[in-house]
Amino acid sequence: MMRTKHFSVESSDKLLRFPLPFRTVLEALLSAPPEKPFIIMWKDEDDVETVTFGQFTALASAQANYLKGQELRAGDRVILIMPQGIALMAAFVAALLLGAIPAILAYPNFKIEPAKYRVGLAGASSNLEPRLIIVDDAFPDELIKHVSLGVHSRLVRSPALGTVATVPASPRNSDSDETAFIQHSAGTTGLQKGVALSHTAVLRQINHLGKVLRLSFEDRIYSWLPLYHDMGLIACFILPMVCHLSVVVQSPTEWVMRPASMLQLISDYGCSLAWIPNFTLQFLARRVPMKMRSTYDLSSLRMLINCSEPVRASSMDEFLSAYGASNLRPGALQSCYAMAETVFAVTQSQSNGKTNPSRVWVSANGLRRNKVAKVSQSVNGDAVCFVSSGRCLPGTKLRIVSDEGADLPGGHVGEIWIQSDSMLNGYYNRPDLTSEALRDGWYRSGDLGFQLDGELYVTGRKKDLIIVAGENIYPQDVEEIVSSHSEIQDGRVVAFPIYNAELGTEQIVVVAEVRQHQGLQRRQMIETQLRTSIVTELGVVPRAIYLKPPRWIVKSSAGKPARSTTREKLLGEHPELDPGKGELTSVGNAAND
Amino acid sequence: MSETQQMIEYIVREVVRRPNVQIDENTSLVSSGLVDSLALVDIVIKLEEITHKRIPAGKVQAKDFETVQLMFSAAARVGKACS
Repeated sequence: MMRTKHFSVESSDKLLRFPLPFRTVLEALLSAPPEKPFIIMWKDEDDVETVTFGQFTALASAQANYLKGQELRAGDRVILIMPQGIALMAAFVAALLLGAIPAILAYPNFKIEPAKYRVGLAGASSNLEPRLIIVDDAFPDELIKHVSLGVHSRLVRSPALGTVATVPASPRNSDSDETAFIQHSAGTTGLQKGVALSHTAVLRQINHLGKVLRLSFEDRIYSWLPLYHDMGLIACFILPMVCHLSVVVQSPTEWVMRPASMLQLISDYGCSLAWIPNFTLQFLARRVPMKMRSTYDLSSLRMLINCSEPVRASSMDEFLSAYGASNLRPGALQSCYAMAETVFAVTQSQSNGKTNPSRVWVSANGLRRNKVAKVSQSVNGDAVCFVSSGRCLPGTKLRIVSDEGADLPGGHVGEIWIQSDSMLNGYYNRPDLTSEALRDGWYRSGDLGFQLDGELYVTGRKKDLIIVAGENIYPQDVEEIVSSHSEIQDGRVVAFPIYNAELGTEQIVVVAEVRQHQGLQRRQMIETQLRTSIVTELGVVPRAIYLKPPRWIVKSSAGKPARSTTREKLLGEHPELDPGKGELTSVGNAAND
Repeated sequence: MSETQQMIEYIVREVVRRPNVQIDENTSLVSSGLVDSLALVDIVIKLEEITHKRIPAGKVQAKDFETVQLMFSAAARVGKACS
């Protein structure tokens, strides 16, 4: 029983004192002021649910007792598939209280076909071998029978909040270096990786990040970010839980249908911090009616942190131009480079609240040809703009490494390698993937970038990944779906990202060879079928699908489709796909061909 | 022009924006990939304009926008009269 005293993390000037004196995330929660509001779950003006830290702890304790009755024990893995909300957060903490290892997976949206959902869940389920898979009451019956269960796994529906007896929390004493929970990366079956994180790593990350962000006891976070994503889970749930901050939450689908609600909530609740993927800025600038803009008061917003998608100057400028009259502070827009493998942030731009992140204009040709960021004095010509992602967090080191594994000097583009004291324990049950990703204690990110004056600029990706509105999608998953169509030549498919300047995010473009020329006469029907297959399996809509005759796709020397070269060929034939001047989606990807 | 016809024309012209695409009030929009979830905001605003009702985002889900018929049913169910 650890809930014996209330420990205040507050100092006299309201700034939090880091490092916080907790060994585990649970110690932090149980030390929170019980009367302080923790989660404000907003659905509509007349439908807001608020729980204090004390009430939340009671809910989690009740869930823990229920799960204990379901034979969940310390060390067991438990998969949570529930919609965004307090019940999901309570179930996550309930698992931690028992010393079990929770992993949150995306809630299936209605587009997913039951038979395909089985495949989607099978990868995570077989790798984690969970004792329990917990779904909510509304989880569709037609999907239940497709949830793949291992020999020792059981599926249970989560009880409604407040329907189980509440007893005080009694967390199991666990080793803070053991795996506490698992975050999943992108991908379906073979590509899915479970990032195993310890309490120690999570608390170190929060201590470093909290200090850099100059967190105050009065900070209040706003979030629409899903909890299966590191930005939603760490920055907008665990960080406020550990630092005893309030967080205003809404679901991603509600936000996307009414983006203005984000501005209304920041205004109404005086939120001071929010994390967002880049496209959000453009979405807010373009999709909120102009007459509404002046009705929002964003003066409370200390930092709106652009993270988890490439940070684009054009998106930031568009937002600043749209909301300059809404009392937005001059330095409110900030940036961050983060990944689940380091718990969350690797770098963070300054938090002095006065200036936006640094920008540099560099010659695109210099980048492409020599992989050198030659700073341009002029914004004309072939100059492209990069926004700084800031400096390393304390306890974190970066290297920029060439294809040959040599350290590169400032201004040279190479792969970003990271060493941090908040690193993953490993990919759960996948020592092969762990040893592939880690070399001599350095995590090879697969991202490309350069450093200038100690700041990191991310330029693109070496690994194959498409980031659609903050969601990570592996092109291999798209290619497999398209390849399985009877009229498509198996293995002769390439999927890649194209930046959509109108949306402020990447989108998926697919090019596929038909088996026989005659297939091109059925182009429209095949494209429609492929589009539906991608949506129902991955939940994302491709921007375009191009069907080409046999032998159109460029092959690499190894005989496989060459993504970068095929992409360039397609862009040459279809100028309508042009990602736009001043935008460089990747530098150096040709190494992958 | 009927309300559903206004919406169909809007979706074809402003949202789908691809040649040779025809839809009716029962055409699957979201699960077919014709309409991206990022475009739902435009459809919500158009639905409010046509029905003169405010649609509370927390009371509808993406599946309520799967067809034109379903979105008008949702507006009738949860829409609030504009003041």
